[in-house]
Amino acid sequence: MIVAEQKSMEEIYRICSPYEKILILGCGTCVTVCDAGGEKEVSIIHSVLDAAQARTGDKPHIFSEYTVKRQCDIEFLEALKDKAGEIDAILSLGCGIGVQSLAEVFPDIPILPGVNTAFMGASREWGVWDERCVACGDCRLVDTGGICPITRCAKGILNGPCAGAKGGKCEANKEMDCAWVLIYQHLVHLGHLERMRQYYPPRNFHTILRPRRLIIKTEINPGGK
Amino acid sequence: MTKNPSYDHTIIPPCQAECPLHMDIREYVDLIAQGRVMEALQIIREGNPFPSICAYVCTHPCEDACRRGQVDNPIAIRALKKFAVKFGGDKMIRLEAETTHDEKVAIVGSGPAGLAAAYYLRKLGYPVSIFEAHSELGGMLRVGIPEYRLPREVLDIEVQRLIQMGAEIRTNSPVTSLNLLFDMKYKAIFVTVGAHQGLRLGIEGEESAGVVDGATFLREVNLGLKPPVGNRVGIVGGGNVAIDAARTSLRLGSREVKILYRRSREEMPADPNEIEQAIEEGVEILFLMAPIKIQSVNGQLDITCIRMEQEEPDASGRRRPAPVPGSEFHITLDDLITAIGQAPQVPKDFRLRIGRGSTIRVDPLTLTTNQKGIFAGGDAVTGPASVIQALATGKLAASRIDDYLRHRYPAISKEKRASMGDLLPRTIEMIRKFNRYEPPIRPSQERVKEFMPVELVYDWEGAVNEAKRCLHCGIGAEILSRDNCAACLTCLRICPYLAPFLDDRGEIQIAEDQCIACGICVTECPANAIAFRKPQEQRRVDEELEHVIESAAKSKSKPLIIGFCCQYGLYGTGALAGLWRETKAGIWIVPVLCIAKVESRHIVNAFKAGAEGVFIAGCDQQQCPRENTAFWTLQRMERSKKMLAQIGIEPERVQAFNLHASDKNLAEALDRFTQKIGELCLVSAFKKEMKK
Ligand SMILES: Cc1cc2nc3c(=O)[nH]c(=O)nc-3n(C[C@H](O)[C@H](O)[C@H](O)COP(=O)(O)OP(=O)(O)OC[C@H]3O[C@@H](n4cnc5c(N)ncnc54)[C@H](O)[C@@H]3O)c2cc1C
Ligand code: SF4
Repeated sequence: MIVAEQKSMEEIYRICSPYEKILILGCGTCVTVCDAGGEKEVSIIHSVLDAAQARTGDKPHIFSEYTVKRQCDIEFLEALKDKAGEIDAILSLGCGIGVQSLAEVFPDIPILPGVNTAFMGASREWGVWDERCVACGDCRLVDTGGICPITRCAKGILNGPCAGAKGGKCEANKEMDCAWVLIYQHLVHLGHLERMRQYYPPRNFHTILRPRRLIIKTEINPGGK
Repeated sequence: MTKNPSYDHTIIPPCQAECPLHMDIREYVDLIAQGRVMEALQIIREGNPFPSICAYVCTHPCEDACRRGQVDNPIAIRALKKFAVKFGGDKMIRLEAETTHDEKVAIVGSGPAGLAAAYYLRKLGYPVSIFEAHSELGGMLRVGIPEYRLPREVLDIEVQRLIQMGAEIRTNSPVTSLNLLFDMKYKAIFVTVGAHQGLRLGIEGEESAGVVDGATFLREVNLGLKPPVGNRVGIVGGGNVAIDAARTSLRLGSREVKILYRRSREEMPADPNEIEQAIEEGVEILFLMAPIKIQSVNGQLDITCIRMEQEEPDASGRRRPAPVPGSEFHITLDDLITAIGQAPQVPKDFRLRIGRGSTIRVDPLTLTTNQKGIFAGGDAVTGPASVIQALATGKLAASRIDDYLRHRYPAISKEKRASMGDLLPRTIEMIRKFNRYEPPIRPSQERVKEFMPVELVYDWEGAVNEAKRCLHCGIGAEILSRDNCAACLTCLRICPYLAPFLDDRGEIQIAEDQCIACGICVTECPANAIAFRKPQEQRRVDEELEHVIESAAKSKSKPLIIGFCCQYGLYGTGALAGLWRETKAGIWIVPVLCIAKVESRHIVNAFKAGAEGVFIAGCDQQQCPRENTAFWTLQRMERSKKMLAQIGIEPERVQAFNLHASDKNLAEALDRFTQKIGELCLVSAFKKEMKK
């Protein structure tokens, strides 16, 4: 799941200030789950913006709110078309993908990002999220006991641990577990330590051309030639 | 979704389902917990024609069903009702009824069944006459139940109200023939003659002088006939009548009062509290013992008794007592009172079909008898039962008689049944234990001297604390909007009671019978998918806040400070309520039912409306009957503070009272806060000037 973090209200208020009629738009999927941009956050941000305006006595902004199921899929944005005429800007609480979909569907309306998209991760308890995957496009989790060194090792090395691991913790952050110690322990547990004994040549990140596109559909020629 | 809820998904709680009158107990207990005792009384009055009577003598099947009993002890519902009746000013209530129909209805017997029927028939607009054999109304309430359990003043007030409502009363009027009533132009008759004939032991010597049955003995006492009782009195039986007879004998001056009961204490049908009180007063109970012969010797009674033993439980699980051969022994008494049950005594000329135990046979749904226009109910139909059952039949009779007279097919309403399962052990473990607060009772040495009420009424603190224990069964959280639900699992992770779970299809559900409506998930759900089953709960904080903002705008008081204050417990009513009222002008209170329902949005909206400071005050975690409420409220408060700071509102303008730990001196803390806000206002005004 994509994890995002709300921008500070100061920044949000600042990026909104040039516009008069602003729609605060939530997203009902990932950012709802990570408490950054769901229906409830939309209403809180709405209240805070109203409060900020009431206190500064700025020229009146008119904020409205709405939440769609998923901002990244443009069909969900259809519902906004009626409103589009009445708004000057959209404050999107969706991730960067949502913001871009909006910009595509509403080319005449400035889309303001209300959150910083942080990472892909998971939550083990309420209010805490951990990064788990960097979408490197070349998954090696089979060799590393289901623990991703690219994401979870501070140095992202493929043949760890480095000499900095102390008492199972990382030298870059003493609070953080060393990913390679975890990998080692898990491979021992699985009886697959041989996987760690191999040498993994450095990966060539240059082969990834951005932006990536994924196509699963096959070209079918109905003519049959 | 939550803005304008118009649904009602509340589930009937077991207390209400078990109450023969289906009273909205959950609601009035909650109102008492908030100190809104007059509204509580109003709810009680809506469901019960004679609440003050039930407040004293109800056998409270609700308490037996109460789910709090699975945690520690059931809510003291009857005692709370008594509190509401007293402090809500029930005495002052006057009732009126208009006559809108011509058909006269006769009621034979003025016990609770008859009185209730009269009450509801008057409300429906029928002229009603009550025929009563005795000189006063009330049936067993008058001639059975002793005065120390039901002060006659209480009964008199209810009877008086019935007269105000226009019921015609004919006392000293035993009815011998129902045809006579039809001749008097009554169009329908409700027969509620009760069960007053004491059952006989069927042993030798039962006719001896000094042997009397319990119902007769109590009737004589209650009618002021002052039956002579000797020093040594024995009572046979184990029900409430036996206990009442025993305790009455003590009050009449008997020195030694013994109850002979043929089974053991576990089987004793009398109310355990009453048994306890009787023992305290000096009544001795001899278990597994039965009289087999009575002989009158020189004005004394020589009773031959035999010991009993319990047989193995039979198919129905009941253990029958059987005499132990050769275990006979003698006791000497002055009087023997037999209280082994009563049967109805229905005059032959009524020509009603009689069934088991001399009871009148009726259709249980329509209360019709074998004769047209004649309905019957109460003890006369069921055999000795209870006041609340009698009231419920009276109410039913009124609507059936109405159907009959209006030539309507009776609308049979569906049984109100609770569909709530038991609490799971893990839920029980998480529910904070608070023992039941019993109302005070008069010390036993004092109370046996006279017929003064034994049980006293709660004071405010006692009642509020007791009412706060209610688990709010059936009004908890539900996932109202599946569409919104993002399956984030917030509810599953934060519920203190583990009520939310993932079903077989991987969908999140909230187990309605494990939820005790703390509201944490409702406020925390990031998708606004969860709501209370009762929409009022949902709207409350928003509405109250709006109301405060409007009133504050009118009064123009400055600086405006808004406080979200829990209305449960002592904040609503006790010493602390006064505190809010006494504080300086400018402090406005938004009453909330537990601070767990205050959302970040509410805090921010207060500032939006121009508040200079906001505080939240509620019980600390030790006092709150719900788990983790303070924790989550503080979480939200800190979050709001952070966001507010980012738009230039100082975090010091938001404060919690009492949530971290009991604030010893709230008044002082509040004063300091107001002062602080005053200073902050000055500083910001100054800054504004500088800017200009
Ligand atoms: C000692 C005692 C203690 C009790 N304690 C409790 C208690 O604490 N809580 C509880 O819930 N229940 C208690 N009960 C039971 C309860 O009082 C009865 O179940 C209830 O009163 C039944 O009401 P009823 O209207 O059917 O009959 P009753 O109350 O018996 O009233 C019947 C009335 O009909 C009158 N009547 C009879 N024949 C005629 C006639 N031919 N013409 C005119 N009038 C007639 C009688 O005089 C009587 O007034 C107690 C009962 C007794 C005896
Ligand atoms: S806990 Fe409250 S709602 Fe539940 S059964 Fe008891 S009194 Fe009724």
